[in-house]
Amino acid sequence: MDCAVAGVAPQVDFALVGHPESWGAAAEVFSALRGPEHTPLPDDEIKDILPWIPPRAICRVDVKSIGDAEAHGLYIDSFIPPDRLGAACVRENLTRVRAAAAYAIKAGARIVSLGGFSSILIEGNFDQLPPGHHTVFTTGNTLTVAFIVQGIEKMCALEGRNLRRSTLLVVGATGDVGSGCVRCLAPKVRRVQLLARNAERLRRLAVELEAAGVEVEIGTDLGQFSEQADLVICAASLPSPFLLLGRIAPDALVCDAGYPKNLSPDAETSRATVFFGGLGQITGGLKFDPDLHGILNRHPFPDVAHGCLLEGIVLTLEGRFEPFSRGRGGITPKLVEEIEMIAARHGIYLAPFFNADGPVTFTMK
Amino acid sequence: MESLMELKSQTECPSPTAPIWQDVLAQAVTGELVAAMNYAALAEICDDPEEAGEAREHAAIERAHAAAFAAAGRKIGVDVVSNVDGKHWKRLREAFMRCVAERDTIGCLIIQEIMLESFALASYTRVANVAPGSLGKVFRAIAADEQEHADHAMAILKAERDANPQRFDDKLHRLHLEVMTTLAAMLAKECKDGHCEVCQSSCVKPSLFEVSLSAAQLRGASLQQYLKTLDALGLPGEITLTWIAQLPV
Repeated sequence: MDCAVAGVAPQVDFALVGHPESWGAAAEVFSALRGPEHTPLPDDEIKDILPWIPPRAICRVDVKSIGDAEAHGLYIDSFIPPDRLGAACVRENLTRVRAAAAYAIKAGARIVSLGGFSSILIEGNFDQLPPGHHTVFTTGNTLTVAFIVQGIEKMCALEGRNLRRSTLLVVGATGDVGSGCVRCLAPKVRRVQLLARNAERLRRLAVELEAAGVEVEIGTDLGQFSEQADLVICAASLPSPFLLLGRIAPDALVCDAGYPKNLSPDAETSRATVFFGGLGQITGGLKFDPDLHGILNRHPFPDVAHGCLLEGIVLTLEGRFEPFSRGRGGITPKLVEEIEMIAARHGIYLAPFFNADGPVTFTMK
Repeated sequence: MESLMELKSQTECPSPTAPIWQDVLAQAVTGELVAAMNYAALAEICDDPEEAGEAREHAAIERAHAAAFAAAGRKIGVDVVSNVDGKHWKRLREAFMRCVAERDTIGCLIIQEIMLESFALASYTRVANVAPGSLGKVFRAIAADEQEHADHAMAILKAERDANPQRFDDKLHRLHLEVMTTLAAMLAKECKDGHCEVCQSSCVKPSLFEVSLSAAQLRGASLQQYLKTLDALGLPGEITLTWIAQLPV
């Protein structure tokens, strides 16, 4: 589609580019925008209308640090239809992301976080985005990795799991987020299992890790691994939740960090502890205008958002308008440590644990 | 591109989908005639003789479009019957005439050039992509003409908005509630409040799939064109999104 750039309201510091995770999420946003005096749109109407909407802001976002800093921004929806995230729609979706980026530039955003598939589509090639002399882009993936790693470590501590003796499986291991998680956690576990589609990329990552003394297995299929993993990070770029995870330890700890989620509702994880990872919580103050609290961020805890979006906010609060995360597997433990320190300085911490059923309860293992 | 005159030739073979095209053309001819009447009325309230002349010229072009659509119908063996008093079109016409009564030329341009032309341009373009033979060519040629009209008006409307954005946006929203609500009802997947008084027999919308069209597609394309036009004028995207979200379905 040919996407013109929407008119834009007052100047902003940052922009967050996202897309609806599901039709249900899109329906809730539309329902909120319609207001209580209008009946909610039926699902089939949402599916008919949404694909035609050119990228544009949904709301203004104001964030306060626990220090003195404040940041003012926009949440821009590229309106990629949730059922068109697959490879067949790449060209159309890239056009949408470019139009969303152009909107952010026109709004005067100094930094733009590319959430979910927006950064996956760009694949670290920011040259594909429209030029903006005063605007930089970040995939936001470094803060996502930071929150995933923090989540794994904290859950292990809460459940009495021994990280050092664990076998860690990373699904989507060669991706930007997956490889970042591997680099951070590999030195802390007994063995890592890398699962991805591209065998050559897997081999390259394995060589890098082995050179650092890590015990590594690679596979393009779960059945290729010699043992069942007891820690799992799902960070694959899947257009919908269809991962079944058939062959992991029954009581494994599973972090689903996908957007959309990776794990299928049919995955057999009844004895496992599953939590949604890569999420942070703003404690200084978060305001949406119009008020889309709990609608734009549909989580059981307040002021929770994905790390990729929070990274742009964190960098704005810090006054560091730079392309911190550039994609293409460049996330290192040093960068992760740096971004989590900046986030903490502004009161943005790992979110409380939850999954599709609500808050996670802990069991000592 | 071929001119409209070159496209008028002998009758093509009758098609089983001719009755569908008959109703599609009836809506198009009616829309063009309403546009012609609107421009003629606008010419009467223009203080600037040059602008009045342009409005009269546009009225003549819209009448030519209506004639071209009617001729395209004859070529596929159908009589195209228009009805500018059909209930939706009548309501749209009345909204325009209220602006005329107030000598509000900007209001007139907003209704005709932003709202009605967005609908026409998007619909004609979609129809042109699937209509067979010369019918498709007629829709494509007229869509190109409508684009030119819209481009001309945009410069005037943009200058008006730049002078006082709040006043312009308030007026546009008021007209949006009146006109786009009617257009949304027209473009709804089903006619919930009875016959539109333009289709020849029953509503054409359920049959559109037979010619690779759908009411949902025409509505989506029209709303997209409308949003793009508002974007080009500089209205905030989050505001216009809310306007669209609140339209009836």
